[in-house]
Amino acid sequence: MQRAVLEFRRQTGALGMRVDSAHAQRSAPRPAWHGRLFENFRNDALDAIPHEIRQRGQQNSLLRRNQFGFNIGGPVLIPHLVSAAANTFFSLSYEGVREHISRTVLQTVPTLAERTGDFSATVDKAGQPLLIYDPETTRPNPDFDSSRPVSTANLQYLRDPFPGNRIPMSRLDPTAQAAMALYPAPNTNVGPFFQNNFFINSPETNIANGVIAKVDTPVKDSHRLSAEVDYSNGLLGAPRWFPTDANPGPADRNFQNRMGSLQDVWTISPRTINTATLQVRSNVSKAGAGQAIFPRYVIAPYLGLGRAFPFSSVANNIYDWSDGISSRRGKHALRLSGRYTANQVNTFLPQFPEGLFRFSSGLTSLPGINDTGHGFASFMLGLSQYAERSVVADPSYFRRSSGTLGMADQYQAAKSLSIRFALATAVRTPRVEKYNRQSNIDLTRINPANGRPGALVAAGRDGVSRGFRPTTVSFQPSVSLAWNPLNRSDTVVRAAYSRANYSIPIYANQWGTQAFHARQTFISPNVQLAPALVLRQGIPPLGYALPNLSPEAANDSVADLLDMSGRLPMIQSASLSLERQLPKSIVVALDLGHSRGRDLLLSNGAANPNAIPAAALQYRDQLNDENFNASLRPYPQYKSFDLNSSYPLGQYQRDALSIRVEKRASGGLSVNAVYTFSKQMDDYSAPYGEQDFYNRRNDWALSAYSRPQELQLNYVYELPLGANKAFLPYADWRRFLVEGWSVSGNVYVAAGTPLALHPEFNNTGGVLSTLNVDVVPGVPQHVKDQGPALWFNPAAFDQPPDFTVGDASPTLPNLSNPGVHSFDLSVSKRFPLSADRTFEFNASAFDFINHADWNQPDTVIGPASAPNLNAGKIIGSHGGRVIQLGARLSF
Amino acid sequence: MIPRRQYGWPRAAAALVAVIACWAAISSASGAVIHLAVRSQSEQQRIFLPADFAVKVNGKAAPVLSAKNPRDSQMILLVLDLAGDMTDAQAAKDALAAAIEKLPASTFVALIRAQDGPTVLVDPTADRNAIIQAMQASAVTGKAGLLDSLPSMDALAESIAKVSNLRIATLYVTDSDVRNYREDFANPVINSSDPHDLSRRFPEALIEDKMDKMEKAVAARETPLFIVHLRYRTSKLNAAYQSGLKRLAETTAGWSAFCASPAEIPAAIEQAFAAISSQYVLTVGLPGRPAAVQIHVETRAAIEPPVELVYPARLLIKQR
Repeated sequence: MQRAVLEFRRQTGALGMRVDSAHAQRSAPRPAWHGRLFENFRNDALDAIPHEIRQRGQQNSLLRRNQFGFNIGGPVLIPHLVSAAANTFFSLSYEGVREHISRTVLQTVPTLAERTGDFSATVDKAGQPLLIYDPETTRPNPDFDSSRPVSTANLQYLRDPFPGNRIPMSRLDPTAQAAMALYPAPNTNVGPFFQNNFFINSPETNIANGVIAKVDTPVKDSHRLSAEVDYSNGLLGAPRWFPTDANPGPADRNFQNRMGSLQDVWTISPRTINTATLQVRSNVSKAGAGQAIFPRYVIAPYLGLGRAFPFSSVANNIYDWSDGISSRRGKHALRLSGRYTANQVNTFLPQFPEGLFRFSSGLTSLPGINDTGHGFASFMLGLSQYAERSVVADPSYFRRSSGTLGMADQYQAAKSLSIRFALATAVRTPRVEKYNRQSNIDLTRINPANGRPGALVAAGRDGVSRGFRPTTVSFQPSVSLAWNPLNRSDTVVRAAYSRANYSIPIYANQWGTQAFHARQTFISPNVQLAPALVLRQGIPPLGYALPNLSPEAANDSVADLLDMSGRLPMIQSASLSLERQLPKSIVVALDLGHSRGRDLLLSNGAANPNAIPAAALQYRDQLNDENFNASLRPYPQYKSFDLNSSYPLGQYQRDALSIRVEKRASGGLSVNAVYTFSKQMDDYSAPYGEQDFYNRRNDWALSAYSRPQELQLNYVYELPLGANKAFLPYADWRRFLVEGWSVSGNVYVAAGTPLALHPEFNNTGGVLSTLNVDVVPGVPQHVKDQGPALWFNPAAFDQPPDFTVGDASPTLPNLSNPGVHSFDLSVSKRFPLSADRTFEFNASAFDFINHADWNQPDTVIGPASAPNLNAGKIIGSHGGRVIQLGARLSF
Repeated sequence: MIPRRQYGWPRAAAALVAVIACWAAISSASGAVIHLAVRSQSEQQRIFLPADFAVKVNGKAAPVLSAKNPRDSQMILLVLDLAGDMTDAQAAKDALAAAIEKLPASTFVALIRAQDGPTVLVDPTADRNAIIQAMQASAVTGKAGLLDSLPSMDALAESIAKVSNLRIATLYVTDSDVRNYREDFANPVINSSDPHDLSRRFPEALIEDKMDKMEKAVAARETPLFIVHLRYRTSKLNAAYQSGLKRLAETTAGWSAFCASPAEIPAAIEQAFAAISSQYVLTVGLPGRPAAVQIHVETRAAIEPPVELVYPARLLIKQR
């Protein structure tokens, strides 16, 4: 034993493991630098042709991608300054990306004939000729019986169709005609009829360079300092949907992401540790620089022209400081923590600087009669239903901060039971603007224009606070326990409950600055009779100077509304799990989870405080008159409100059962499989919006993104081949061939999201922005041989009659979209070059079985008189095998 | 009774002949020996003699020249790699203290801290209080240190085994998270603007490479490695890391445990010490000078009931 102890002392001295020997430190072996060089390569020559491209008869899906870089790390050694004994370490990583990748979209553009005003071949979704009416021939019907609903037999207005369903060239709007030169011609004919006639297969360019540098060093005996700097520049060259200035696709975007952090870990005593962290992060995004700006034309049902936010510059800066002190006292592990976060968003983001024009069928329809008229015909006549222009002179400088104080105690109540209590107190300030250039609608103030509640207020003026909302204080408790029943260490029961609030984020847009940056709004007095603006006349100049802080400044517009109540979204969750270790390294866990939320932040489609109650549908066609319509609104001076995903009203509930089976590594194989069965309901996520703002329980339905069944499977297998393995234990040159193989895989299989249907026509006079379909009683919704030819039975649903609500739920409880599958496989071979050096070759195949997922079915339900013949059918599939080859030299 | 003095020279001659025969046997084989760490998985307390073991090396019977058994002296190199949750760490320290108290007097324990490079806290000693006090005073902080310290610990254990006649075992008590290493195994996203990065779908490649290298390094190790991991993590990256740790222990005929809750920690540490204490070291003569050998060890057929043994099934031979 004595010899062993002496050898221990000698060897630990030689290895530099003794703190009491300066000589030993000097003679200790110098820690080596480690790192890697890598290249990941992808090329379309290696890939399967994506299904969506092959189905369009094309053979080309451009992909050229190189991802390369290095990492190096180890002790910092600076002669005469920093020695290995200083224990200072660094890590430096660089990664570059050069990529051209094809993006595909299937859309519908007008036929060449329609571009000349010829709608003689244009049909509706039932394949029947679609009549285009001349708005200049509109006249009241002297025989109209106002006691009966408007119908083809009782028209309120008479209007003549264009002869031959052709608009004379002389009537075409010159601005619309000029825009036709920028509209590409159809290039495919997927159908049905003339739909899906434009297939976009355009490359996207992605260039990025990034660096992560880290240093950590002990300071004295009790402190450890770590510093990190991240730097990344990128260019996302968006695909060109149109090769013209009217390209409606996204703009090119430059990114600059920076992050710096400093952390000090102070070991006050063996049982008390303090960790302080300061982090500064800046993400800058600039889009559209040097690119043409074109007005945005929204032309239902076609792909429009121009884009929103054609140029932008957004900087998101976050300053974050946190400190936590952890201490162990007896059976208690205590933690006190504090955090302060300041968030700045400096943004210049005009949405429609050249204007937005919406065109619908109303002005070329037979007034009050569905399935007549066409949005593109209205466009060719230059008759917009709605128009607006963003007048933004200055950037906005938004600020927000939050502070959190927390305490937690983990108590070892017994050998087999530990309980953790935590309580955090969060103080959050509302968003403010550096120069108080914010405005809002105060729903309690009287508007001088009409004496009704709802008037514009400006931040920091007239007794209004800078942020409109109060500073909030919330208490966020959580408790959890881990218990080994019957003192069995192979069985763990865990239970947890938590409650948390979160605040309204600062979005990148300039919403809430309406008094300083005007939104010129033009609303049709009757969407069937008169345009909001005529295209050739353009948008008139702003008739007043900015800022306009008068209480009426937002009248007759879509007004930005921030809820001033101080309500915060809240989420509560509870879980119970049982985990049991079985023989052969198998672990089985059963988890039950429940979570629910209230006052979740909603967007315009899910909430509308200015909605007209559904009972007003009794007024039927009168509702098309804007003045009458406005009179029914709670705040008639506003067309509607823009809520900017900030209105705290949503609710959700999720219940889930999951089973996890884990085969921990044995023989080099580890497998982890999780099956989850869940049900998530909410009143806000329906893809087409919510029907009735005042009766949200009726819109309580399956969440649009919920997948009731999901299976995730991950596996890693280190093949037991080679010199010290079970098979082919070659010790000679052959070991270079047989050892170092590993196979990894990811499998994801999930049921489809719930199906959401919507009627082809929404003739509710603007009362309901979203209309659900009707369910036809007694007709089965499922089809016998479900497939792309027919995914569901459209005959089980119907277009609701005019001026009535649909009785189906926003998402259907019994029908779902096609499921998704993903099978990824990676095979690696490592070639040992020396004890510390390895060359690894890797081939990864994503969707390696080249399995296509079906696209979603056509969900538009037409009226029985002119049904959508494509309803329930699926056009095509998407996906395809992608292969990436990688090489890495590690040392 | 025959007076001993009277037969002194024949005994000496017999001993000389035995030594020569043994030397000849070893010489004729190769002149090389390996030291196999072997332990019994049965709970019976029976002590086996060298003659009780039948060893095959590359399929051929090999002589067991000597065997150190659980009653012989032992040195445990206890390495603390604690940088995470203090509750887990304290549970481990308390369990270690209890286990160390029970060790026989012939077992020496050295205490080493893995953070910032392995550092000796207490030299090998039979003084239990010294170990326990130093262990309780050891801070739970810093970067994970198991992988960085393992080469040094490997060299240390092997050098002690080489010069001494002891059973040597290295026991790591760790709560390491693969993301807490200085070396970057997590491969974090560098370019957040890169929307089509598929290279991180299989994040375990880097740690697999590292564990593969470590496994090769310990494949020539004759002293077993025991690992008690205090916090099993289910993330894919940590699963690969923990899987690698398990392979490291298996390769050296050691033992590993991964605790899912603090309550499992005492039992895991108790089992680790039981496994360490049950360790034999067989000195086995090698036929030839192979670079690697496949090994089969069993107890002789006469021993009932049969005993299941744990030993390194394959061993790379060090160039001595």
